[in-house]
Amino acid sequence: MADIVRSPGRDLRRANDGGKRIEYLAFTLGSQIYAVPIQHIAEILKPPPITEIPRAPRNVVGIISVRGKLVTVVDLRRRFGLVESPFDRRTRILLTDTGDDEPIGLLVDEVRQVYRLAEHEIEPAAALGGDQPAYIFGIGRQDDALLVLLELKALIES
Amino acid sequence: MADFGSESSEKKEEFFSEAQEIVDGLGKFLLDLEGAVAASRVDPDVINEMFRAVHTLKGIAGLFGATRMSGMSHELENMLDDVRMGRLDLTSNVIDLLFKAVDLYTHILLFERGEAPDPQQEIAKLLASFAAVTQPEEAPTSNIFTQFDLDPGMFGVLTEYEEHRLKSNIESGLALFRLRVRFNLTVLDTALEDLKKKAKPLGEIITYLPAPSTDESDFENLELDILMASKSDAATIDTTLSVEGLVVNPVKRRSGGGPPPKAAAAPVSKSPLPKIGAPPSLPPPTIAGPARLPQDLAPESHAAHGAKSVRPAAPAHAARTSVAPQAQGQAGQFVGKSAAQTTVRVDIRKLDRLMTILGELAIVRSAVGRLAERLRGSVEHRELGTDLHRLHRTFERQLGQMQNGILEVRMVQLGPVFDKLQRGLRAISREYSRPVNLVITGQETEIDKLIVEELSDPLMHMVRNAFDHGIEIVEDRLKVGKPEVGTIALNAFQKGNHVVIEVEDDGRGMDPKLIIASAIRKGVITEDESREMSARDAYRLVFMPGFSTKTVVTDLSGRGVGLDVVKTNIAKLGGIVDVTSEVGIGTKMTITLPVTLAIINVLIVEIGGRSFAIPLASVEEAFVYDPSLTRNVEGREVLSLRGQSLPICHLSSLFQVDAFDDASDSTRKFYVVTVAVGIRRLGLLVDRLEGQQDIVIKPLGRSLKSVHGFAGAAELGDQRVALVLDVAAIVEEVLAGDQSRFLAMAGEGRA
Repeated sequence: MADIVRSPGRDLRRANDGGKRIEYLAFTLGSQIYAVPIQHIAEILKPPPITEIPRAPRNVVGIISVRGKLVTVVDLRRRFGLVESPFDRRTRILLTDTGDDEPIGLLVDEVRQVYRLAEHEIEPAAALGGDQPAYIFGIGRQDDALLVLLELKALIES
Repeated sequence: MADFGSESSEKKEEFFSEAQEIVDGLGKFLLDLEGAVAASRVDPDVINEMFRAVHTLKGIAGLFGATRMSGMSHELENMLDDVRMGRLDLTSNVIDLLFKAVDLYTHILLFERGEAPDPQQEIAKLLASFAAVTQPEEAPTSNIFTQFDLDPGMFGVLTEYEEHRLKSNIESGLALFRLRVRFNLTVLDTALEDLKKKAKPLGEIITYLPAPSTDESDFENLELDILMASKSDAATIDTTLSVEGLVVNPVKRRSGGGPPPKAAAAPVSKSPLPKIGAPPSLPPPTIAGPARLPQDLAPESHAAHGAKSVRPAAPAHAARTSVAPQAQGQAGQFVGKSAAQTTVRVDIRKLDRLMTILGELAIVRSAVGRLAERLRGSVEHRELGTDLHRLHRTFERQLGQMQNGILEVRMVQLGPVFDKLQRGLRAISREYSRPVNLVITGQETEIDKLIVEELSDPLMHMVRNAFDHGIEIVEDRLKVGKPEVGTIALNAFQKGNHVVIEVEDDGRGMDPKLIIASAIRKGVITEDESREMSARDAYRLVFMPGFSTKTVVTDLSGRGVGLDVVKTNIAKLGGIVDVTSEVGIGTKMTITLPVTLAIINVLIVEIGGRSFAIPLASVEEAFVYDPSLTRNVEGREVLSLRGQSLPICHLSSLFQVDAFDDASDSTRKFYVVTVAVGIRRLGLLVDRLEGQQDIVIKPLGRSLKSVHGFAGAAELGDQRVALVLDVAAIVEEVLAGDQSRFLAMAGEGRA
């Protein structure tokens, strides 16, 4: 995690330009960039061998062991109805930490960078129009980037 | 709710577990007491122990602001004090109230944890009943003390409690003895305790007093006058106690003499008796009656110090003996202090953490083992490899010992659970005036603490079920020539890696025909299905959801649930329930549980390129699959094995994983692993057998709750995680037929 926070992609100028800012960790699924509050991500893992679970819900890839604890891994591509893609060297598992819920591993294509978003940089999900699923919390904009902001609790519980 | 203020949750947890332990202990004492009352042989120490336990409870409850608990304890303490002082008889009514109080304690503890409604009303009700039985009655006591030639010097300083004990011993026809003994002051406490212990089988030591020393210059020793009640004679007492310099003298019974009028008129407990006359064999008493210290009269003092302390009876002796009362008072203040010194209360999660670390050590061990093998295989490092291999073996052995050690710590006896059942059954038996005996065997059987905690609810349901549906009313029992009092037997024993618990009643038994008829009526099964049902299948119907006939919420469990919940709860612990019954003879339900949930020995198998673990405890054998020996019976593949039919389950199709076992490749070998759960057996078809291993099983996450057939998963070393089959669930799913398979699929679709 520390590596990510200090990743070169981060724009340090924004650190002090006023207003409350929340840090989001951005990752990609296909061509779209998504982001989750970084405070809810405990760890970013390179995928270890994943044990499939017969008869498990479709979104579940399987289970992994993280330092002696079993973690269920959910494929976010399947979750969002995207076409599955094979693992490559950029594939990562985000280990969630939402406090109350058990940790879940989220399988993503690639981890990008941390964005510090001010309130005015976040639009409500309704800006996308129509009925958006509960786990889409809003749209973040910074420079040219457009981030789909995810609400982890809703994502895990649904 | 108690206001714990800034107390840490750990402190709170400690309070809960300590309080619960004391409450459980009280329950146990109570059962002993009830038995003792029935045999009219009440051990006063039991009542004293209970009194102290309640006193401790009051103390710690007050400390934690659990006001309901401390309030009730206060009243209960008073009532027990009345009992031990002989002011209140131990009638069945009183014992009932005590049982109710113990149950209420459990309720209060649940309330304090926020898991139960406020029991305020129940407490008020119980306290009102307390008050009703403890109405002071000023019964005139006939003075039986005057039958004995008692030394008024000694008699005058008896505490109320000692007087009561003396009276009750005389009433039971025991003889009185006066003992004179000399102890060194430095060992006075231990010597006295030792003496009391030795005296116990013979009778009871009522009191002891410092005696006037025969040697005024001796400041190192103290002579004691002891009053003892015993059924033995002086010679036996002398040899049994075997204390150097002991003098035993019987206290003479007055021959035929009625009590002197003066003594009879005096209220015994109020003032020292007038001098009756000292036994001639003892030196004339010099201890004056009124020397009793004022605080000895206060009831609080009894509570704090018990009645054991050596009282300085005269100012002259006070200085010499003052050490003793203090030390004794402290020791008697809290119950079980000496027991607490040898035991440690440990949060089971700490043991789980140790177990996890141990699991990881086992993984390191495998890695080291592989490294040693590699080194031994290479030419240049062979010697190094051999050394490493030797080290590895030692490591392995000691790791195994450590594992056993931690497992042993987790094991607890079934006794306390059974005691709870006995209290529960006793309550319903009285409520319905249907007498029943609970016969318990094997309460010393040990099982994992985590399992024990989940056991009492299901067991209570089963006992309750045996009572409700098994044991007939008295008239019906007498009609068929059964004893009036029904019997429910609770048997526990270890069988291999399993613990078996049987709940057996001698009631009316179950009629398969009636069960089937009832199940059809309730829509649990169809008439078509019922046609092929054996008696065995019929018994199993009682565990189906919707079969339960009880719609009334039972006051024992608090939840009007049926046996289906029992079965589910037992299954969660990796166990199974079976029933056998005979009409008119009785019913037996058998629970088979694994001894521990923490570490299990498994057989690793491969199905469709994936590794799965099968708990070895449920594996009977494994052999090469021969398709020519199988037949199809009712759409199910069955293998004939040594004259028995073994249903076969293709795990690859059950788990919907790609496998090579579609029989198209006739050159490939497959294996059958025979698993048994209770008396049911199933052959699991697998691709390959990999070997045995000890694993630390871990539960699957909540997000996989809907997935059936797996008890958890475990790391195998080399970073692999293997699923552990829930054999009981799979056997159930496969053998119970299409219905539950459908349910499993539905669960999968839902998730």
